[in-house]
Amino acid sequence: MRAMTVTQRMRRFVGAAAGFALVALALAVAGTSAPAKHRATASPAAKCNASNIRLVDSIRSLSNPYHAVWSSGSKGYVKSLGLPSKNYQLLLNEGDSAKQVAQVRTLLATGNDACTAISVDPNENSVTETIAKLVQKSGAWVTIYWNKNPGLLPWKGYSHWVSFIGFDGRIGGYQIAKELFKAMGNKGNIVAIQGLLDNVPAQQRFAGLKKALAETPGVKMLDQQTANWDRTQALTLTKTFLAKYPGKINGVWAANDNMALGALQALKAAGLAGKVPVVGIDAVPEALQDIHTGDVGYVATVASDAYWQGGAGLSLGYQAMMGKLKPNSLPHSKRAFYAKTILITKQNVGTFIAPAKPAAYKADWANPFKRFVSPITR
Amino acid sequence: MLGQTLGAALAPRSQWRSSAGEFVRTRGSLVALILLVVSFTAANPSFLTIANIHSIADAAAIVAIVAVGQTFVILLGAIDLSVEGVMALSAVATSLLVANDRNGVNLGLFAIPAVLALGATMGVAAGVANTRMRIPSFMATLGLWAIGIGLGTVLFGGRPPVIEQQNFLNIGLGHWLGFTKISYIALGVVLFAWFLQRYTRFGRYAYVIGGAEDVARLSGINVAKYKVLIFTFSGTMFALASILATSELGVGDVRTGTGYLFSSITAVVVGGTLLSGGRGGVVQSMIGALIIAVIANGMVLVGISPLAQQGVQGGIILIAVALTGWPARRRLRVIK
Repeated sequence: MRAMTVTQRMRRFVGAAAGFALVALALAVAGTSAPAKHRATASPAAKCNASNIRLVDSIRSLSNPYHAVWSSGSKGYVKSLGLPSKNYQLLLNEGDSAKQVAQVRTLLATGNDACTAISVDPNENSVTETIAKLVQKSGAWVTIYWNKNPGLLPWKGYSHWVSFIGFDGRIGGYQIAKELFKAMGNKGNIVAIQGLLDNVPAQQRFAGLKKALAETPGVKMLDQQTANWDRTQALTLTKTFLAKYPGKINGVWAANDNMALGALQALKAAGLAGKVPVVGIDAVPEALQDIHTGDVGYVATVASDAYWQGGAGLSLGYQAMMGKLKPNSLPHSKRAFYAKTILITKQNVGTFIAPAKPAAYKADWANPFKRFVSPITR
Repeated sequence: MLGQTLGAALAPRSQWRSSAGEFVRTRGSLVALILLVVSFTAANPSFLTIANIHSIADAAAIVAIVAVGQTFVILLGAIDLSVEGVMALSAVATSLLVANDRNGVNLGLFAIPAVLALGATMGVAAGVANTRMRIPSFMATLGLWAIGIGLGTVLFGGRPPVIEQQNFLNIGLGHWLGFTKISYIALGVVLFAWFLQRYTRFGRYAYVIGGAEDVARLSGINVAKYKVLIFTFSGTMFALASILATSELGVGDVRTGTGYLFSSITAVVVGGTLLSGGRGGVVQSMIGALIIAVIANGMVLVGISPLAQQGVQGGIILIAVALTGWPARRRLRVIK
């Protein structure tokens, strides 16, 4: 009896699955034929308007504050153009590089590419070249942030890659180190928590710390380890440091806020919060709150301004698609550059705690080059 | 329910004791642990200070709880990959159910049983998918991993909810006699699970099913029921681990569980539980968790360059597994 019902259920299930597969197949067929038509009409002189413009972010995940703020900046920018929100698309890859490339590939196969602008935060260096090539072939427009291999540059064969924008970690790493030392009275011992060791920003930030250490003879670095940008790992690592150097640690330098916040929890558990200053980079909301309150010893962080990044990345591509900006005639310094970062301490934290307003960013989105700091030449 | 299973399970106890292989394996991982402690202490005497022992116990605690849940599943010959998903969802759910900066819901410490129930539900889903829908545990729990991360991300909404409930945070920040409260909770969990493993049908049948599922079924054991129960238990343990990690971190972070899948399975295997099922146990897994914590801690204390650490760590783990299995290598069945 029971066996019968199981078989029946199985049959029904198989039937349903087959039906589902048929529908999926039909959709797939419809999906592949439609873009072919689009393609045909997408001549170079295609007019881009609300019906065919696509402004797209390819970023990691909304499960971290940085990319969540990034995406809200992009939405703010799209709104400021007077476009409806359906013109904005968000591709999330959850840290999977192969998925990131596949998503961009799918995007470029399904619409009017000449009216598509993509803003990319590549998961790793190797993704950058692949995406730049895909975009170049399709005729879409792209802005790429943070990661690329040395030697890969937009003006070397990529007329549709508008700009590469990075943030010089040496500056941020140096600035927070100086603030940390100041809070320690320029003497004592620190421990350093590094990011992923093969990441360029991690290496640059650490180089900034080393420069500051060289300038400040009173401060000594007792130890340095990586916590891979991870909060929990930083928590465990800081506990280990506290056990290894009991009573000797006077400050904690972390390569990002996430790890600094993990270190802070370890200090809290040891009753040292507020006595041992902590610094990080990225300006995540909790760090800003701690700097603002000022009672746990969080001294400084650095903002690359994710809200601006979201809008600026799309803005460059949008202007190129509308013909207002011709990438190939831009000077190299506008095709690859380090953009401005902002040191945030108790003095100026107030202005960063309130949610960003699109109106305040309008000028910096319209002309992203306003935030130029130095060129990237390799 | 417990009393009933307890009574029924007590009978074949003496027979169980005669299985000396169990003991041998426990000793293997213990030998590895002692060797590690001795070598690290030789390299840096401050390894064996009280403060550092506290720090190691604390680092091993949450891994041990996850490993306890994982142990029963692996004893079945199955695997539970949903660790990071259950932990992600539980972390965010916990932070949203206690006093926080996001919403007005405030269940106080009652959030803990609520989230444990959530973890148990995820476990039931894994068990039902495995036994009723006949999806291999590997695939079923992989799906739940993604579901957990997905639900967690939706609830998370862009920034981690910051916990404002002091008595909840005190669980993660507090100490008794130098050891963190979390260390004691982990020890309690291990003892409770050891009791389950040894004196109840729940634990005993895990060995039977893992040893030979067909035989278990033929001899009238309701295999599906016990499998679902075991997945429910593992889901609950992952949720507990996540609650404790959340009280330590002070925020509900989707990435709370990151790394625990790998470290829990490593702890179970280093401890000496066979991935093919049927042999091992929770005490070994606790020793496995301690071995992992000792290695990570020892690396920092000895001052091995961060660039070389991961490689060295992998090497030490392989040696530890070899040591663990050495006394029983003749008894081991086919190694796949």
